[in-house]
Amino acid sequence: MSELTRAQIRDLMGEVMKAQGKTLPTDDGADLREIGFRSLDFSELALRVEDEIGDELNFDAPGLRQIAKVGDVLDFIEQLQSA
Amino acid sequence: MTGRRRTTALIGDDNRVVVGGKTLTWRTLHKLPQLPSPAAVLVDNGADALAAVRHHAVHGTELLVATSSRVDPAMREELGESGFAVVIANGDEHSVTPAKLKRVEESGRVWLLTSGSTGRPKRIGHTLESLTTVRGQQQPRTWLVPYSPGTYAWWQVITISLTQADQGLVVIEPSELETWPAIAAEHGVTAASGTPTFWRQTIYRDTEALAKVPLEQITLGGEPVDQAILDRLHEIFPDARISWIYASSEVGASIVVHDGKAGFPKAWLDRDPDPEAERPILHVDGDELVISSPHHGAGLEGAHRTGDRVEFVDDRVLITGRLDTDEINVGGSKVSAGLVRNVLMAHPAVAWARVFARKAPLVGRMVAAEVVVEPDLGPITDADLVQWCTNRLPDYGVPRRIRFLDEIPQKETLKSDV
Repeated sequence: MSELTRAQIRDLMGEVMKAQGKTLPTDDGADLREIGFRSLDFSELALRVEDEIGDELNFDAPGLRQIAKVGDVLDFIEQLQSA
Repeated sequence: MTGRRRTTALIGDDNRVVVGGKTLTWRTLHKLPQLPSPAAVLVDNGADALAAVRHHAVHGTELLVATSSRVDPAMREELGESGFAVVIANGDEHSVTPAKLKRVEESGRVWLLTSGSTGRPKRIGHTLESLTTVRGQQQPRTWLVPYSPGTYAWWQVITISLTQADQGLVVIEPSELETWPAIAAEHGVTAASGTPTFWRQTIYRDTEALAKVPLEQITLGGEPVDQAILDRLHEIFPDARISWIYASSEVGASIVVHDGKAGFPKAWLDRDPDPEAERPILHVDGDELVISSPHHGAGLEGAHRTGDRVEFVDDRVLITGRLDTDEINVGGSKVSAGLVRNVLMAHPAVAWARVFARKAPLVGRMVAAEVVVEPDLGPITDADLVQWCTNRLPDYGVPRRIRFLDEIPQKETLKSDV
């Protein structure tokens, strides 16, 4: 299956938030701590992406870095897909 | 010893045996030709398995009985090298592969293959006496036999019928597992033993048909038993006695609970030995169940580490799963897959669940689940189940990926590999 677009990743991120009873803001600059998006949520998002693309994400390639805002999450997952 | 066994073993010789669509007795079952000894008799149907058992009860030969599908070519080779002639039984026809090693038979020895849930099946030695754990006067009953021939649970039901009067059998072949309630109702089955998966599948498929079986005794064993399945069976059969039995090829039937609650009372741990009652000693080391049992297999004297994980909830000891697969480490926080499964199974719309670890970034592993829902209880989403679990588990224990299956998976052992 092909890679997901940034908009599709955002939709999946919204689903993760919704399952936790929260709403994903439209602003990519929103702070993850303030909106309550935690490491478990990030991990779940990665699994949702893996299920969609039918392949494991390669986390070794880009290396983890500071992820503080919604846009950082989207950037990171986009980068992982092409790694 | 052999003489006494042969006498007591055949008390049930005139008990009714329904097998392969025929109503017979142990005495009128077809006879196998004189078997070599030791022999591993591989069968594809219940009638051949029962015939092998009766042959053993009459002649005292050394016997292993198992379904052909459980014994792959490599294991057949191993059996031959261990002195077993391998007999493929099929009614009046059979083939014999002679043993590769000649050795003296152990008269009266019965061998069981473990379920193999922790790897390759092992051979455990018993006798008809050590397999016969239900003694004393029993009220007349007709027993369902859904288990795969040769397993410990199968022998438990078989020995009741072979050694006690008025204990009939209705044998269910694998092809009949989906429709067994109709067969059981037709032949008046009053007692049935099965794994929790077996009961869940039956309830899931056709509760109405199940309710028509005149069950007085319901037994569950072979897998962790949760409160939800006990309660559901009690709803369907309010007058039946519902028993949970912890048994294995290694330690035999060691824990028997009739109070309708999951697990067993904590007060049963570390009780003094009571040779009169043949009571096993139950102990917990760390979070592992350890059993010293009078019903153990040959060569397994003393305390046996079961590999089963326990948890204490109020005054009960719950068995949650296998130690080597039960614990899921989510970013350093540990959660029992069995505990999560119990929470999922307690949801009224969940008919079956399997909980497992899934590799995930940042936290290493996450809790994931596969679920079968009751079709009559309306649509249910993964968000519903996540919410249910969130209210009952720490956040790291909540399954984050839930996949819905169309039916409950089941192996030949009637277990679902949860």
